[in-house]
Amino acid sequence: MKILVGCKLVPEDQDIAVLSDGLLDMSKAAPKISQFDLNAIETAVEIKKANSDANIVAVSVGGKYLENVKIKKDMLSRGPDELIAISDEKYENILPHQTAEILANVVKENECDLFICGDGSADLYAQQTGLRLGAILNIPTINGVSKVVSVEAGKIVVERALENEVETLEVPLPAVISVSADINEPSIPGMKAILAAGKKPVNTPSVDIEDSKAVELLEVKAPKKKERAHVIIEGDSDDQIAEFVTHLKKII
Amino acid sequence: MSKVSNVWVFSDVSARLAEVVSGALELGEKVSALVIGSNEDVAAAYAYGATEVYHLGETDSSRIVESYAKTVASVLNNGEKSLVLMPGTRRCKALAALLAVELNAGLVTEVSDIEVADTIKCKHMVYGGLANGEESINTDIAIAVISSGTFEEAQADSSKTGEAKVVEYIVPQNEIKCIDRKAKEGSSVDLNKAKNIVAIGRGIAKQEDIKLAEDLCSVIGAELGCSRPIAEGEKWMEHERYIGISSVMAKPEIYFAIGISGQIQHMVGAKDSQTIIAINKDKNAPIFDYADYGIVGDLYTILPAITQALK
Repeated sequence: MKILVGCKLVPEDQDIAVLSDGLLDMSKAAPKISQFDLNAIETAVEIKKANSDANIVAVSVGGKYLENVKIKKDMLSRGPDELIAISDEKYENILPHQTAEILANVVKENECDLFICGDGSADLYAQQTGLRLGAILNIPTINGVSKVVSVEAGKIVVERALENEVETLEVPLPAVISVSADINEPSIPGMKAILAAGKKPVNTPSVDIEDSKAVELLEVKAPKKKERAHVIIEGDSDDQIAEFVTHLKKII
Repeated sequence: MSKVSNVWVFSDVSARLAEVVSGALELGEKVSALVIGSNEDVAAAYAYGATEVYHLGETDSSRIVESYAKTVASVLNNGEKSLVLMPGTRRCKALAALLAVELNAGLVTEVSDIEVADTIKCKHMVYGGLANGEESINTDIAIAVISSGTFEEAQADSSKTGEAKVVEYIVPQNEIKCIDRKAKEGSSVDLNKAKNIVAIGRGIAKQEDIKLAEDLCSVIGAELGCSRPIAEGEKWMEHERYIGISSVMAKPEIYFAIGISGQIQHMVGAKDSQTIIAINKDKNAPIFDYADYGIVGDLYTILPAITQALK
């Protein structure tokens, strides 16, 4: 069984600075694996535990972050057997309609039984890539997968958590599933896995697609912060708590 | 603001149809609703103000909403320019993405503001709420999945009626089968609409100490919420009570943050509160930058004292 996992690199959000004009400065932000994609990798690893013949290939599309050797090792240390890294400067701020098309090209060269994505990325959170990929390939696809119940020949049974209900779905393979954050707790790679990652193959094919410009990202800007009263009492003595309560009684 | 000649609306949950119809009435000359459900659901769509309704049949328990993508696409693909509005449920997000590919349509999700100009301009949160992205949809059919609260709900007027057009289901290849459906546990709470919220974070050391926050809730009439580590790390509380990115976006009158440091990923879901009150032992915690009223100290001393004082 062959499993492909979509894996996006995003800037470490703690290191994104908001400039005075509201624009974001990411020059000091190192790449990290988008949170939901860690869940996607972990899902593949768990399936492999029960199906020892499974082979996991991580696929990442992006710009200069993919030149970073350390982060590529990071992706491989989490369980994939190999990595396909498609990097091009024009894919720097790529939108989901483009990513899905590139991934579809990758699948045509690397046929798989299951493609696993995270529900959304930590940067744009468009929540479209996996679903679009499935639609382009014309194979079953679903989002919000919260549990893999079983993997059998030709089908996977999953639970999908919606707002008010949980669906149990029988999905014919090949398929693309997008997993939610609560599907698992991504494990932290041990020293052995980190060392082994350096020996795993990394392929860097070039995939060139024309942007349809169906959607364009015009601007990214931080909203203005709401003005606050900022009455802060430093200390928890009885008097200070009483003063705090006086303020609260005015509004509650 | 200019208008689109036709706006299509769809919602997988009947409770959220009113808001998309309202948005469609604001943005379009004509509103066409797609309904999967009973005759009552069709009547509701007309009552909210839909100009015309396409009835895709009754709900089928073994079929998922996304399987209707090809059926919906066949109705939408009429050569006209149009906008499609759906509420931000998981199913609508999935259906929207499938339609986007079927119809070569541009799609933006989590839309909090939408403007009709030469193109459709949509705003939505990016980088976990740190910023807003503005995107333009440049295709003839534009799809926007709307965050809750973007539009007021349309009021039902039962004097508005009509005859629905019936649409035949197109069976997709390798259809996904729904073999079981059960109500989600603990999903009765909706913090998005809570008037007051008391939220707890890592500062609460043990699960049994949540009682201290619950006591404050009952005194001031608040719902209990939490930050991500409490719901997803410790699993002390259900996901529906987790406030922040990709979960609850709360806009309460009073937001009481207890032992919450105030990381941006959490504050995204709380920053629109009218008044923010914070208790934290670290005076440098970011929560105090957002707070109207804050106290620096031990929550195990402060919390019981203020609960008592506010009784």
